[in-house]
Amino acid sequence: MATTIKHEIGSWNTFHNNGPFPTKVLYETSLESKGNMPSVNDRYNDAAKEIQSLIKAALDSQEGFRAYGSAWSMSAIAHQKDNMHYNAAMNLKRAITDDELAENTPFLQENLFFFQCGNVIKEISNFLFDQGKSLKVTGASNGQTIAGCISTGVHGSAWDDGAVQDCVVGINLIIGDTPDDIVYLERHTKPALNDTFANRINARVIRNDGLFNAALVGLGSFGFIHGVVIEAEDRFLLNRYVKKIDKNLALQLAQSMDFENSDFQIPGETGIDGKPNRPFHYKVFINPYVDDPEYVVEIMYKKPYQSGYPDPVPKIKTAVYRDLILLFTHIAENFKNSIPALIKVLQASILPPLDLDVTGTLSEIFWDAGYQGPAYACSVGIDNSDSPKALELLVNLAREEGPIPGIYAMRFVKQSGATLAFTKFPVTCMLEIDGLIWDPKDNNISLPAFCTRTIEVLQANNIAFTLHWGKNADWSFPGLIQYMYGNNAQEWIAYRSALLRKETAELFSNDFLQDTALAEYLTDVPGTLAQSIDL
Amino acid sequence: MESSTSTVKRKIHSLFLTSFMLIFLSSCYSVRIVSRDGVPEPNPLNTSGNFYKGKKVNVIDKTITLKLLQGEFYLVENCASGGFYSIEYRPTLGGVLLSAITFGKKRQVKVKYVCLKQSE
Repeated sequence: MATTIKHEIGSWNTFHNNGPFPTKVLYETSLESKGNMPSVNDRYNDAAKEIQSLIKAALDSQEGFRAYGSAWSMSAIAHQKDNMHYNAAMNLKRAITDDELAENTPFLQENLFFFQCGNVIKEISNFLFDQGKSLKVTGASNGQTIAGCISTGVHGSAWDDGAVQDCVVGINLIIGDTPDDIVYLERHTKPALNDTFANRINARVIRNDGLFNAALVGLGSFGFIHGVVIEAEDRFLLNRYVKKIDKNLALQLAQSMDFENSDFQIPGETGIDGKPNRPFHYKVFINPYVDDPEYVVEIMYKKPYQSGYPDPVPKIKTAVYRDLILLFTHIAENFKNSIPALIKVLQASILPPLDLDVTGTLSEIFWDAGYQGPAYACSVGIDNSDSPKALELLVNLAREEGPIPGIYAMRFVKQSGATLAFTKFPVTCMLEIDGLIWDPKDNNISLPAFCTRTIEVLQANNIAFTLHWGKNADWSFPGLIQYMYGNNAQEWIAYRSALLRKETAELFSNDFLQDTALAEYLTDVPGTLAQSIDL
Repeated sequence: MESSTSTVKRKIHSLFLTSFMLIFLSSCYSVRIVSRDGVPEPNPLNTSGNFYKGKKVNVIDKTITLKLLQGEFYLVENCASGGFYSIEYRPTLGGVLLSAITFGKKRQVKVKYVCLKQSE
């Protein structure tokens, strides 16, 4: 039997200390051992029973219940004041078998894998690598759980592939405490697996594009994500370059993403016609306090996998003194005019080293994160064609109403099919600023005020935008979600209301959902929203 | 005016103190070996603000006494996953002196390790 430890913690914090948040209980579930229960499916179903018993206890006490993984989100999205469930030890994984594949599926059996919620990106990558496969994309590092990634929209800068949730083709949710409350969701227009699979995990199947897309970026509020089916691809290599290029060229590329017809060329990264290759990844770094005519850019090209390349992970990893970082933060808090100079001093540690070209797999390039301390990050999504204008506005904001300790970066992501994906534009530019949390003194702007002003500045300039669900923002800003998502927000609420009962909708809600006005429960939605659609 | 001067003095004093600590504490160092592809065993209750944050840490802090004819030893530790994610060893001046004055018969061991997360 899976077992659960109950910790009465009193308060909980995110990995980067963006709290603390008052919390009564933290549950930690461990799987039955392999020796006692060798079948992966049996252990998976056994864990589902354990989760349902915790859900029942929360329902009986009229309390909330929310799962979380690595706690990397800086917003309060993962937090629940009553019961939080840490799911990292629930990390079963397996390939999809021939007999589980849906008829006429567009997916190849060899590319489909089933992962339990607590698998972190690194262990998924290791598992896939051993099968000759790779995730299509990850975030900038590898410590998030898969359930956390898709719930909050974790992304890299793969503008032909999308965010992590866009690799998901099936979702197993536990939405209550009865046998009927284990559901398996897929798109009806792109089914992946058949009922044999669903029967093996004791799930009721719902094939419905609208419901699937709503639950895909579900903000942890569509139920307990127990497992996901992922489409992987053959493993590949990335050639990574870091260059300093003319600022105007960097912004022109950001705006057009037309690399093939640009003046930007890297020797060896051209086609047979001599035109530049289309990159897999493009990222631009901007120090807002320096008028540099050149920007540092990171660019990667996808190549077929072959062994024998030099190890891209350095043999010796160094880090800046933690005390030094605290000292710099202390100076920045007390002397706000010192911030630009401090950022310049730390720039070498923040930015990737110039002209260091490396080759590696996706998981080697986006390897372990180094910094474990307090941090903030604000990230807005805009149409890439708006990126130069939005950058100018937000740089001016940081300069004129700040300074704040951080630097900007721009990454680019393909449009997601998820109803509440912040990567909603054809190519979304994620314009982010991150750095060390500061305590505003010396008349400096606070982080909450900076977050509010970011929204106001973009709205005042009529720039359509979204905000990263897992990062710092003024989530209570009036009309924010409606402004960002329009009808999609109401659609998301309707699908959630159709799938969940009123009491389970409340169970899986939290303050974040209340703040964003997404906790609303509609009693009059058609039941067909949570039913399968036949093609 | 006087109070603002004393605030500045206090800040400068704390700046010097921190710099002093940074330089001299460097003489106590540790060596950490980390698995390149391993995933650490997690511990959600570990909120230390350093490398070990979120990881389940095991500490060995003991002095081993060897008999006359014994020249080496090894410690047997148990990781459920069967492997180590990281090992950190901290030599201390006291440990070196203890070993020297006991002709190697007493060995101080200060090791921190993290197991690999169980792969399911």
